[in-house]
Amino acid sequence: MAAAAALALTGCAGGGDSTGGDSTSLNIYAWAGEVSDSMVKEFEEETGISVTLDTFDSNETMIAKLASGGSGYDIVQPSQYAVQLLIGQQLIQEIDHDQVDGMDNLMEKFRDPSFDPGNKYSIPWVWGTTGLLYNEACTGEEITSWKSMFDEKYKGKIYMLDNMLAAYIVGLQVNGLSATSTSEEDLEIATQTLIDQKALLAGYNSTNYYELVASGDACMAEAWGGSSVAQAVADNPDVKYVLPEEGGSLWTDSFAIAADAPNADAAYKWLNFILRPEVAAAATNNDLMATANAAAAEFITDEELLNNPAIFAPEEQLENSEFIVDPGEAMRFYQDGWTRVKAS
Amino acid sequence: MDRALGWVTKLVFVFLYIPIVAVVVYSFNASASTSNWGGVSLHWYGELFSDGPLLETLRTSLIIGVLAAGLSTVIGFLSALGLTRYRVKGRMFFIGVVVLPLIIPEIVLGVALLTIFGTAGIKLSIVTVILGHMIVTLPLTTLILMGSLASLDSTLPEAAADLGCTPWQNFTRVLFPLTRSAMLAAFLLSFTTSFSNIVISTFTSGIGGTTMPLRVYSLLKTGITPEINALGSLLILFTVVIIFLVGLRQMRRIVIGAEEPDMSTTAISTQTTKGKASL
Repeated sequence: MAAAAALALTGCAGGGDSTGGDSTSLNIYAWAGEVSDSMVKEFEEETGISVTLDTFDSNETMIAKLASGGSGYDIVQPSQYAVQLLIGQQLIQEIDHDQVDGMDNLMEKFRDPSFDPGNKYSIPWVWGTTGLLYNEACTGEEITSWKSMFDEKYKGKIYMLDNMLAAYIVGLQVNGLSATSTSEEDLEIATQTLIDQKALLAGYNSTNYYELVASGDACMAEAWGGSSVAQAVADNPDVKYVLPEEGGSLWTDSFAIAADAPNADAAYKWLNFILRPEVAAAATNNDLMATANAAAAEFITDEELLNNPAIFAPEEQLENSEFIVDPGEAMRFYQDGWTRVKAS
Repeated sequence: MDRALGWVTKLVFVFLYIPIVAVVVYSFNASASTSNWGGVSLHWYGELFSDGPLLETLRTSLIIGVLAAGLSTVIGFLSALGLTRYRVKGRMFFIGVVVLPLIIPEIVLGVALLTIFGTAGIKLSIVTVILGHMIVTLPLTTLILMGSLASLDSTLPEAAADLGCTPWQNFTRVLFPLTRSAMLAAFLLSFTTSFSNIVISTFTSGIGGTTMPLRVYSLLKTGITPEINALGSLLILFTVVIIFLVGLRQMRRIVIGAEEPDMSTTAISTQTTKGKASL
């Protein structure tokens, strides 16, 4: 420890150089709105490392940048399926857990997750669910199952997310199949279900469906939990968000270290920093997202956020919930099916 | 018939301007929704000015825009000069090559650039974004300036040379004043092209190179608030101010792409008097 401190004092100020001394810079490539400005400032003040934060709009963009080589990023923030893709392409490096403190702070669900056993490559930061948003004033009843999205009486009042993998969560789970199925047969069934459902839909929408449900223009919609949906739930007592009994799905955005990270030592400092409960609470306090850090709960200033199911889905509903993972070779079954759904 | 045409015109105007008006109106929305009205408030302007990361990307976009447009105008002027003044061999071929990037889909250019930068070991940064944007802005500036130079009376620079102007004086006293408005047009058009570009930026941006459109686009995941409307309104205001500063007459010329004759004559007369005075 003393040696490390001495090294920090005498470390060269070159930056971007991992061969000797401590790095003075850290380049982070993350989702917009998941790493708050105040958090970055706190890290900079504490460590003296200057952080450059860039944001991406999709996992695919981020993967393409890393794959081009020499992106220069140290920390990236892939979603669960993207973690698998990055491991497969050897674009992120194994985390040396001897250098990381605070893994026990994570929620049970995110320690040793299916997409990255043993958290070998990634440390979950925020998470959320894909479930069902409905307006009770419109439905007149409690909704607990995807089956309601196939009910004739809500014809023209249902929205599905305009996203292939999201749509198949419903298509598969409503038939009692796993949302991560890779079987051609299962996907054929799901595709047919989605095609049949189209006649009942008001449309595919992933941008303002929560506003349409809140205003009563739609009765229900497949929904991504998160700040917008949580706001709709908080504003209107009739608007409810549930994970249906079939399970719904879970996503999580994790931090990982790029394989060619020029400032790996700074990256480890970042990982240790974000695992601290009071820092992790910022994800919920500032950005209205669910932190994957269980110990952070006591630092969350707004109790209502903890009880909002669109942010922190209740533990018992999470039970059947599935992590959406990379379908691998089976991706083409999804893509073929989705093309047919969209074209029908 | 005329009345019908009048109505169609009005409808087209409504169609064109409703989105712009809506952006401005909703920027004053008190509610967090981008489509439901919740009363008048300046809340989102406050949010905008305290949103460090967003303002940072705005700065990045301005730097990239000014540099890409500036370099494109300079290089575009030189290539336009070469292509109009000298009847070089393969001239049509060069003109074709210059225009080609305008026809190729941006996504193809983006992917190609990412591959090339990767293979060549060039680190993605602000510089690569500027280079990427210049691929689409260079043809624009070259075409605009070629139009301007072609309509220029070629005897004027010759006369200036006859009267003893060095090539540099020839440029500063004759060519530049005569093509100034076209250069401004080229600069502004490339600036807006660069400023609003998203596809090429996506593929070429690296550390510290997140532009404002990229930031706004990536906010889609967590939901867009009227803060973006506030930003949009300010940008519209900024554009309107520029239009008035540059002058509506100049803007008309941008559209037509040629010098107005009266302008050239005044420029020539002042130039010749100045030329004489210096002699």
